[in-house]
Amino acid sequence: MSAAQAKPRPVRRSFGFNKIFLILAIIYLLVPLVATLFFGLAGSGGIDFSTFQQIIGDPNFRQTLILSLELAFSTTILAIVLVTPTAYWVHLRVPKARPLMDFLTLMPFAVPAIIMSLGLVELYGTNDTLTSVLSFGLVPVLSYDPFNIIDTPQLLVCAYVILSLPFVYRPIDNSLRAINTTTLTEAAYSLGSGWWRTFLTVVLPNIWPGIISAALLTFSTVMGEFTLASLFGIFTFPIYLDEIGQENAREAASLAILSFIFTLICVLAIIFLVRRSAGRIRDDSELEIVATK
Amino acid sequence: MAFLELEGVTKQFGRVAAVDNIYLAVEKGEFLTILGPSGCGKTTMLRMIAGFETPNQGEILLDGEDITDRPASKRPMGMVFQSYALFPHLSAEENIAFGMRTRHIPRDLIKRRCAELLDLVGLAEMARRYPHQLSGGQQQRVALARALAVEPKVLLLDEPLSALDAKVRVSLRNEIRRIQQQLKMTAIYVTHDQEEALAISDRIAVMNGGKIQQLDEPEEIYSHPRTAFAATFVGASNQFKGILESAAEGRCRTGDYTLRIAPQTTLQDGEAVLIVVRPEELTIQRANASAAPQANGTINSIRGVIDLRTFLGPFTRFHVHVADAIILTADVPSQQARGYESGQEVVLSFPPEACQILQAMPDQPS
Repeated sequence: MSAAQAKPRPVRRSFGFNKIFLILAIIYLLVPLVATLFFGLAGSGGIDFSTFQQIIGDPNFRQTLILSLELAFSTTILAIVLVTPTAYWVHLRVPKARPLMDFLTLMPFAVPAIIMSLGLVELYGTNDTLTSVLSFGLVPVLSYDPFNIIDTPQLLVCAYVILSLPFVYRPIDNSLRAINTTTLTEAAYSLGSGWWRTFLTVVLPNIWPGIISAALLTFSTVMGEFTLASLFGIFTFPIYLDEIGQENAREAASLAILSFIFTLICVLAIIFLVRRSAGRIRDDSELEIVATK
Repeated sequence: MAFLELEGVTKQFGRVAAVDNIYLAVEKGEFLTILGPSGCGKTTMLRMIAGFETPNQGEILLDGEDITDRPASKRPMGMVFQSYALFPHLSAEENIAFGMRTRHIPRDLIKRRCAELLDLVGLAEMARRYPHQLSGGQQQRVALARALAVEPKVLLLDEPLSALDAKVRVSLRNEIRRIQQQLKMTAIYVTHDQEEALAISDRIAVMNGGKIQQLDEPEEIYSHPRTAFAATFVGASNQFKGILESAAEGRCRTGDYTLRIAPQTTLQDGEAVLIVVRPEELTIQRANASAAPQANGTINSIRGVIDLRTFLGPFTRFHVHVADAIILTADVPSQQARGYESGQEVVLSFPPEACQILQAMPDQPS
């Protein structure tokens, strides 16, 4: 076909429906934040930073925030350390058990937090022979001095690990499916690498996107968790937020903004740290997609 | 004693025996190909040698040592996979270095050896590239170098070329053979591609249904197949099912024809046989009144009509309809194939020596 006959393709309009939806979505997400910010800052005569100053000066604020951050970091690390090798092992050795794993890790969605906390409180501290036997003697040992973990942040971390299972297992399992895990493992074996070495040097670097995703979801879930902490009687940041909210709405609004900023900083820090340590991931954009989820 | 031996090795998956009581001996420096259709057990056999599967029965001996229960990571084998299986987060050079790092080889030695191996597979310029920046052929070269880096006693290759396009496949298979000969490496190569197997192997083990049907040199497999399966799987063939009329005179009755074959010493008169004739043994002539429709003196001639003519470059393949449901295939050098068209009546001829005689299996098609 000659050039003269070829019709020029119509130039695509740069403004379309997709952009309208994008703007609507941004408005939907930002309006509550901006409104809360303005509400927190609005004083009798214009902008007033006094509520922020009050909050930052409150020792409870620092205390609860630090406790929540500690809980969130501990839960994230413990959950990932427990789940990642398990998911890999299931993937490799008992792939038929994957549906069972899917079911088990979805259980926390089905079981309300109140039932879980009552269950834990009931379990620890009871001098029941069956429980002792089933837990290999762990429950009675942990229930009394010197451990006595009932209603401690340590037990709360364990409960949070269970609660965050769906967020941890899913992305890691998806990453394991996305790479050719079995063949990569066999290739590493044939080169003389054992199970742990293969896991740490071959599998782990290739499932970083899944791990980051798991870490972010777990971290933000724990930072905002209210029910379990309240039933355990542990004074965490969300409980502090609730208390303040009942006394002073304006202070609560400022606090919500502060907690949002803190979580954002932590999440960005996790992304930054993991990206640095992950080094050369196949495609960096993959990380960004996960990070923005 | 051979270098690598499989002694009565069986592997069952449920009730199905994927590998069924196999005895195999591979000599040092030999290039052995396991050839067979998919599901014949060839990959399972290779995986047992690599240590990824454990046999239900039998032993695997390497250099006289029983390695049957040794884990894959402790076997001195290098493996090349169909899907390359390069580590995506490592560069070509780091992939090659992986096995040496596992063995705690000094860093400068690793670097030198990586350079040598990259040179050997012709990728010296690509050391810093990541797998996704390399073509399929280049990735498989890196995988080959990676497997060779650990100086394995046996190199295992599991259909390494099947994911590549035709041209790369031919050049890379030649390269694999060149490297294997240069390093005098013992290699076991699994493929379903008979052309590939014939081209690069010292010996071929033709497998079907978990058993080795024939273990021989490529020429022998092609020209003297021992079983009907080997005859049909390796190369194209024309087959006639018949009854041996006279073993001593070399006469065989098959349908409407009596075929002249070489005199048989091991078979009895009246025995059911399968006659296999390779397409390139058939010559084509225009049909005229003088051509007899069957065995004529010392040569076999069969009259038929060209059904299909396929030009294949150096030769032309004719499908000739000779009887009710029999279509014979003849491969004729292309310069001699000029002037023959579909629908034309022709006579196909082949000498008695071209007939390979096998004992007929009850379920063999004629």
